[in-house]
Amino acid sequence: MNRDEFNTHISGQLNRNLEALFNQVLEMGGLVEQQLNDLNRALENNDYALAHSAMLLDKTINKEEIEIDRLCANVLARQQPTASDLRLIVMAIRVAIDLERMGDEAVKIAKLAMEQCSTNRDCTQMPAYGYLRQLMQASSEMIQKSLNGFSRLDISDVMSVYREEEQMDEVLKQAMAAIQQELLAADSADKVDLQVRMLMAVRAAERITDHALNIGESVVYLVKGKDIRDLDEEAMRQLLEDNAR
Amino acid sequence: MSEKNLTIAMNHENRNLRLADEKVAINVKDWNLYYGQKQALKSVSMQLPENRVTAFIGPSGCGKSTLLRCFNRMNDLIDIVRVEGEMTLHGDDMYAKHMDVAALRRRVGMVFQKPNPFPKSIYENVCYGLRLQGVRDKQVLDEAVEWALRGAGLWEEAKDRLHDNALGLSGGQQQRLCIARAIAIKPEVLLLDEPTSALDPISTLAIEELIFELKKDFTILIVTHNMQQAARVSDYTAFMYMGELIEYTDTDSLFTNPQVKRTEDYITGRYG
Repeated sequence: MNRDEFNTHISGQLNRNLEALFNQVLEMGGLVEQQLNDLNRALENNDYALAHSAMLLDKTINKEEIEIDRLCANVLARQQPTASDLRLIVMAIRVAIDLERMGDEAVKIAKLAMEQCSTNRDCTQMPAYGYLRQLMQASSEMIQKSLNGFSRLDISDVMSVYREEEQMDEVLKQAMAAIQQELLAADSADKVDLQVRMLMAVRAAERITDHALNIGESVVYLVKGKDIRDLDEEAMRQLLEDNAR
Repeated sequence: MSEKNLTIAMNHENRNLRLADEKVAINVKDWNLYYGQKQALKSVSMQLPENRVTAFIGPSGCGKSTLLRCFNRMNDLIDIVRVEGEMTLHGDDMYAKHMDVAALRRRVGMVFQKPNPFPKSIYENVCYGLRLQGVRDKQVLDEAVEWALRGAGLWEEAKDRLHDNALGLSGGQQQRLCIARAIAIKPEVLLLDEPTSALDPISTLAIEELIFELKKDFTILIVTHNMQQAARVSDYTAFMYMGELIEYTDTDSLFTNPQVKRTEDYITGRYG
């Protein structure tokens, strides 16, 4: 399956609508990627303005989701898509939901960064920052892979996104254990407050990796018509390796 | 939302259907049909499940109506038609030499594209088949007429005008009357050849709802040009192209994830 196939309907209107939908989802995905990258840099460089703009980007991302929903509802109502067209519509709605939630999670992290920056504290010196950075970098890579997969209708990276997500579950556990230790040793309300914020931030970053995997799974459904959400790793590997339809 | 508004797809019984689990009503094996030299059906093999709705879709001239007409031997009426292969109805060879075609057509009823009631009363239309079978008992006829009209969803509208001429009914009502006439003799299979193409959307929905109800008692085979209709009413869908059966599976799978590119191209409206 390739993108061109969505441009071969007898109905030019359907071709244009599906093309617009593809572009809209990729545009929304691009905004989330930008938001995460800005956030990474804001944390690394204690850049309040960048963290703030990452937070503001959420509003634009939310509007994109509304636009995708509108487009999908119109195509469903007016053109009754079937087969791969239908899967594209259903998955576009799902991907938009995942992207919107990624944006929400990113806001939580942006708020932490802004709080740190506004009090002239070094973000990189926050407790468990190493874990947060690891989770954030994985988020950026995973979303990029999943969106590339959506753009090219290519599922070859889904397995690696799946494994990365499993690793990030472990990283979250380690991060939480580390924060717990710090909490036990905390001797001021300020420190407790920071630990709690950090806890929420690592949790948010890990949720972003979950959503990135969801997008990868949606791409598999779009391309192959198979739902892999309840498959174990081996079954998933077999399905993904069997690329021939 | 009322119970009536629930769509077919939301009915739990309709989920995860598998042809392999079904009881077979009609078994078709290596079926070929020729109009003179021209082959219209090419080695069609399929098993049509009992008490289910099976839809036949495909472009004009793909053979879907021709195949449907094979199920009650309507093609016998065309001189140049020649058939080969096996076709059985609940195990009985439908094309056996000794097969009584009139008896076969009692077991396999048919409703056509355009409503075609007889220019008689509503009552006489419905009991026509029974009278042909020699039923004279008024009580039996009355009960059969009520049962069939109820089954066809027409009883409430027609009960006070049973002896009015059927041609005074609206198009949608006439089509439901034809369905009542077809089911009055309690066939095993009901063939519907584009039953709603001459009807407005509301009458169409009424017939589609009726089809859903009727499958409890009958095996229903429907030919339709309206793909959304096939998607709405059928449990299984067969896609035909140039006389061949290209893909035949449960309707959910066919419309969300067809396995053959030609099916995908057709149902998504792509240049094939």
